[in-house]
Amino acid sequence: MSIKARHLVKEIGSPPTRIINDISLQIEEGEFVSLTGRSGSGKSSLLYLMSTLDSPSSGLLEIDRKNILQMKKEELNDFRNRSVGFVFQFHYLIAELSALENILMPARKIGLVKSKLDFAHQLLKEFDLENKENRLPRQLSGGEQQRVAIARALIMEPKYIFADEPTGSLDTINSELVMSILHETHQRLKTTIILVTHDPDYAKQANRQIHLVDGRMT
Amino acid sequence: MIFLALRYLVARKKQTLLTLLGIFFGTAGFILLSGIMLGFRSYLVGQLVNNNPHIHIQPREDFLTEHSLDSSFYPLGYEHIFWAVPPSGRKSSTFIENPQNWYQLLREHPQVNHFTPQLMVSALLSNGPSSATANLIGCDPIEQKQVTTIGDYVTEGSFSDLATGGNRLILGHELKKKLGVELSQAINVSVANTPAKTFRVTGFFRTGNKSFDSYAYGEIGDIQNLNKTPKKVNEIAVRLHDHTYASSLARTWTQLGPEKIESWDQINASIFDVFKIQDTVRFLTIASILVVAGFGIYNVLNMTIMQKRKDIAILRSMGYGASEVIILFFLQGFILGIIGASLGLIFGYFMSIYLQTIPFGGGSFAGRGTGFLMVSTDSRIYFQAAFFALLSSSVASILPALGAGRLTPIEIIRAGAD
Repeated sequence: MSIKARHLVKEIGSPPTRIINDISLQIEEGEFVSLTGRSGSGKSSLLYLMSTLDSPSSGLLEIDRKNILQMKKEELNDFRNRSVGFVFQFHYLIAELSALENILMPARKIGLVKSKLDFAHQLLKEFDLENKENRLPRQLSGGEQQRVAIARALIMEPKYIFADEPTGSLDTINSELVMSILHETHQRLKTTIILVTHDPDYAKQANRQIHLVDGRMT
Repeated sequence: MIFLALRYLVARKKQTLLTLLGIFFGTAGFILLSGIMLGFRSYLVGQLVNNNPHIHIQPREDFLTEHSLDSSFYPLGYEHIFWAVPPSGRKSSTFIENPQNWYQLLREHPQVNHFTPQLMVSALLSNGPSSATANLIGCDPIEQKQVTTIGDYVTEGSFSDLATGGNRLILGHELKKKLGVELSQAINVSVANTPAKTFRVTGFFRTGNKSFDSYAYGEIGDIQNLNKTPKKVNEIAVRLHDHTYASSLARTWTQLGPEKIESWDQINASIFDVFKIQDTVRFLTIASILVVAGFGIYNVLNMTIMQKRKDIAILRSMGYGASEVIILFFLQGFILGIIGASLGLIFGYFMSIYLQTIPFGGGSFAGRGTGFLMVSTDSRIYFQAAFFALLSSSVASILPALGAGRLTPIEIIRAGAD
C-alpha cells in the first residue's frame, strides 16, 4: 500500500501556468514525509494532488494500487472519508458545531456517529480538550481549534494524513503540541503522514524530506 | 445533511426569521384572500344553483329584422326592397307552444329531478291606498319548493299553503313593506286588461336580494285564471340531479323545439367571467408575494454560501459529495419553505375561522347566508398555498445550492490562500 506518482503535471489558469512539473515519487505505507520549499514552489499543490482533492493535468497517480484518475466520484468520496484525514493551516472548523460535533462530522457522513463517539471522547482526552467538547470553535483558542481539527482528521482512523502547514498559524508551544500529536499518531497507528511545512526543524523530524523548487523535486 | 442545515438556520436567527416571514405572509395571504374570494363565490354560486332552476325553458324569442317580411309581401322578382318604416318587434309567442311535450320529456329524463310550469305576469298589487307593481309567478307550489330553495326563505306561513289554491299569495318582504300588508290580509291583484281579483296573503319570504323579494308567488291555476290564459305557461323551471350537466342538456334540448332554453350558468355567464378575473388577480397577487419571498431565500442562501465556502471545502475533503453539498443548501431553503408554509397554513386556517365569526350581513346581504363573513376553508386552497410556497422556496433554493455543488474544494482552498 502506497502513494505512487508518475510524471505528475498540474497546470492552472489561462494561458496555462505549470505549478507541478513532471514529478514522480512513491510514498510507502507508514512513512512520515515532509514537503518543503519556498512559497509558490508547489508543495501544497502536490499535497492536494496526492490527497485527491485536486486532479493532475497529466501523469499517473496511484493510491493503494488504484488509479485515482479512473475512480468514480462515489469511490473518491468514500476513499476521502475512510482513508484520508486533512489538517489545514487554518482549522476550517464548522462554526455552528461544537468541538465534539466537528470531530464526528466525517463519521456522520456514513452514519457512524454512535460507534465513533467513544473514540471521539478518547481523542478529546488525549488532546487535552476533555472539558471543551461542547464548546463552539469561537470559544476555543487557536491551538485548541487546531487540535480539534486534528481529532477530526483522526476520527475515521485514516491510513493517510495530509497536513498543509498545520503549525503555520500557531505559536511555538501549540506548534510543538501539534507536531507531537502527529508524531504520536504516526508511531502508534502507523499512519502515513505527508506534511507540508516551511519550518526546517519540523521538516527534519520526518522520515523523508521532499524539497520542491518551481514545481520540481530537487 | 439535515443536521447541519438546521444548525446553519438556527445560527442565523434574524435572517431565518425574516425569510420565514416572507413565506409565512405569502401563504397566509393566499389562504385568506382565496378564502374570502372563494367563500363569497361559493355562496354566490350556491345562491345561483340552489335558489334558481338549473334550466329555464321559455317561449322562443325571434326579433323582426328589416327584411323579415320581404318574402311574405314580395314573393318573387324583387331583390331590393326598402321599407319606409322597416318592420320591427318580436315575432315570438308569449307562451310555450307545446308544454305537454316538454312535461313528458322532463318526466322521463333521468337527469331531471323536478320541474314546474310557471306563468309569470306583471301585476299591480294594492292594499287600500298602497300599491306596487310586481312580477307574479304562478307555479306548482310543491314542485317549486323542489326546483328552487324558495321554501327555505319563507319567514311567515308556508309555501305549500299555496297548493290548496283559492287565490292565495306569498309575497316577498319588499312587497310586504311597500303594501304594508300582514299575514291573512286580502289584497287586490290586477293584470293588464283584466279586472282586479282579491287574493289572500298566506306568507312572506325574504331572500335578501331586493329583486327577488319584490316577487309574489301564487298557485299556477289561480294566476292563469287571473291572467285569463288557462293552461298557458311561459316558463318551465327544471332542477337536475347534477347542476353541472345543465349547460350540455340545455344545448341538447335547444335542438328539440323552438323554445329558448338556457342553463343557470349560461344566464350568469358574466358572473363566471368575473370569477376568472378574480382568480387571475388572486394568483398574480400571491405569485408576487411569493416571488419576493423566494428572492429573500435566494439572497440569504447566496450570502450563506459565500460565507460558508470553507465549510464546503472541508466537507468535500471529508468525503461529502457535491450532491450532499447541494442538499445541504437546498434543505435550508426548503425547510424555510416548509416551516413558513406550515405556519402560514395554520395561521391562515385559524384566521379564516375567526373571520367567519365576524358579523357580515348588512345591506344587500341582510337575511342571507349565515349572517357572518363567508370564508372558504376548502382543502384545495391549502394545497395550492402549500404548493406555491414550496415551489417558490424550492426554486429559490435549488439555484444557489447547485452553485454551491459546483464549487470544488481546491478552488475554495486556493481562493482562501490568495
